[in-house]
Amino acid sequence: MDRRKFLNNTAKIAAGSIIAPYILSSGRLFAQTGSQLAEHVVFVLFAGGVRQQESVLQRYLDDSQGLPYGGNIMNNTFSGAAPTQKIVYGTGAGGPNPIPAILSQSLQAQGTVFNEVSSSTAGHYGGLNALLQGNTANTQGLKSKPVYPTIFEYLRKLGGFPASKIWFVGNGIGNSVPLLNYSNYAGYGPQYGANFFAPTVTFGDDGVTYLSNAKVYHPEDQLSPMYQMKYFLDNSFESVGNTLPLLNNTEEEKHEIKLFIKEMFDKTSAGTIDFPPVADNGDLQTIGYACELMRWFKPALTVVNMSNVDGCHSDFTGYLSNLHRADHGLGHIWDCVQSIPEMAGNTMLIAMPECGRNLEPNSIKDSNQWYAYDHSDTNARRVFGVMAGPGVPSNLQLGSEQTPIGLTTDAVPTIAEILGGPSMKNQVLGSGFIAPGSESWFDRI
Amino acid sequence: MVKSLSVRTILLVFSAVLLLSTSCKKEDDSYLVNTELILPASAFKTKLKTNQQYVAILHANLFQQALSANELYDIAQCIESIGDKEVAREVVISNFMNKPGVQIPTDSAMHADMDKFVIATYERFLVREPSQAEITYFKNFILSDPNVTPELVYFSFALSNEYLFY
Repeated sequence: MDRRKFLNNTAKIAAGSIIAPYILSSGRLFAQTGSQLAEHVVFVLFAGGVRQQESVLQRYLDDSQGLPYGGNIMNNTFSGAAPTQKIVYGTGAGGPNPIPAILSQSLQAQGTVFNEVSSSTAGHYGGLNALLQGNTANTQGLKSKPVYPTIFEYLRKLGGFPASKIWFVGNGIGNSVPLLNYSNYAGYGPQYGANFFAPTVTFGDDGVTYLSNAKVYHPEDQLSPMYQMKYFLDNSFESVGNTLPLLNNTEEEKHEIKLFIKEMFDKTSAGTIDFPPVADNGDLQTIGYACELMRWFKPALTVVNMSNVDGCHSDFTGYLSNLHRADHGLGHIWDCVQSIPEMAGNTMLIAMPECGRNLEPNSIKDSNQWYAYDHSDTNARRVFGVMAGPGVPSNLQLGSEQTPIGLTTDAVPTIAEILGGPSMKNQVLGSGFIAPGSESWFDRI
Repeated sequence: MVKSLSVRTILLVFSAVLLLSTSCKKEDDSYLVNTELILPASAFKTKLKTNQQYVAILHANLFQQALSANELYDIAQCIESIGDKEVAREVVISNFMNKPGVQIPTDSAMHADMDKFVIATYERFLVREPSQAEITYFKNFILSDPNVTPELVYFSFALSNEYLFY
């Protein structure tokens, strides 16, 4: 080998050894950034079965209880005048005081509203799965992991996002919500899953009792040897055919999560969590912790689930109250985004219910003698969608009851396009796991 | 005469063939061992503990007493509420370590008889005896790092993957 050839080969090997550690699991060298529409997405799963009539159609009691009082009770989301009579959804005894809007301009005025989106299902878990998997997944069972890959996994596998940049904030641990952070699909799964917190549990009474008094160990003197011994034990352990579902947070990411947990206990104790001005239900408390989480991690994707609206099964008054509060939470989280320098002006907000509610009531009456509503008919498959952020047309409304535009499964390709550009959107749409007819909302606009 | 001769010949040849086929053969002198899969004792732990099982056993191992059903349920809920279960378990363990009543040998007891300490720790947490290699590793590791305390050794066992299986 002559000298030139030797130097040439040496240079190639050196370059390869430098680049190799940065090749993503997808085979891509670098995560896509250049064609992103925004660096952050906040996706609000809104909020436990919302009727079109009381939300986007702004009919208040007019289309549910036979009372001629219409109006908009979602003043942060939609433009429109509030009801003037029979106010029961606000604060104070009987709810006569509507919560003032947080946003100076409604999300409708700031962005685009899809007035009539078709939900794949009338159920909560199927609906949540459709929003996160982009598939109607007829075989999806309750109490089981998503059967197809979720948007979390697409982003981490195809986009190379680290675990600490992909978050799912649940409003509790019931209804299989903690299962939604990754699928069991071969080739995807936990190693590409989202980090998850159910803050009202983690930082609630039980969390304070059992998690808040953690001993603080020195990272180098104590934790480092402890991990070395753990890794020795792990290497010695050969379990036949069993693997642990790990999210693959790095040691640094785990350390950050632990610091965040400690910070949240301190702030909870001090009463300084960034809760919305009114935080009198679990959804709003969840929103407060989600704001703290965004402030700490600046995630690329933050998905927040709310569900208090589902009390409508037996309490229509409570439903109106919680719907008004869910809107309050949505306004607060968007306001919070604008207060985080790294996210302001660089974040898209998407909000969409997982399902609607019935056209006809059930037989249960609440304290106001108003009928309650379940979710099982075709009206329960009608929902709306809202999107705001950089590049989203403002004050645009698309679709109507007669001409629905959009599917709940659109959220996955839409988020893929925002965070990964057309290339990732096409990869997701071409994966074979997305429901036929699904499109990015940017293609529908 | 010719006929009887030919019959006799045929019988003779037939007998010879029979004798040849059953005659002595040289024995195959190659010796084989049955194929056996040799695995360490830990390999047969194939069932993942539930969060409740993990917490119940952890508490019993650290405090030498059972956790109440209510506490067990509540702690399992806390683990459920955190996506990264390793982080969740680490937080639970470090909370237990901060509680009074945790039963951990002293540093001097560990150093006084390291073989005994390592074997007892394996038996307490992993319900098996360590191999000689494992004993040697821990002895060397403990001797090489003055920061290693029985508490950190217990922490590493409670956080190990093997401890999650039974």
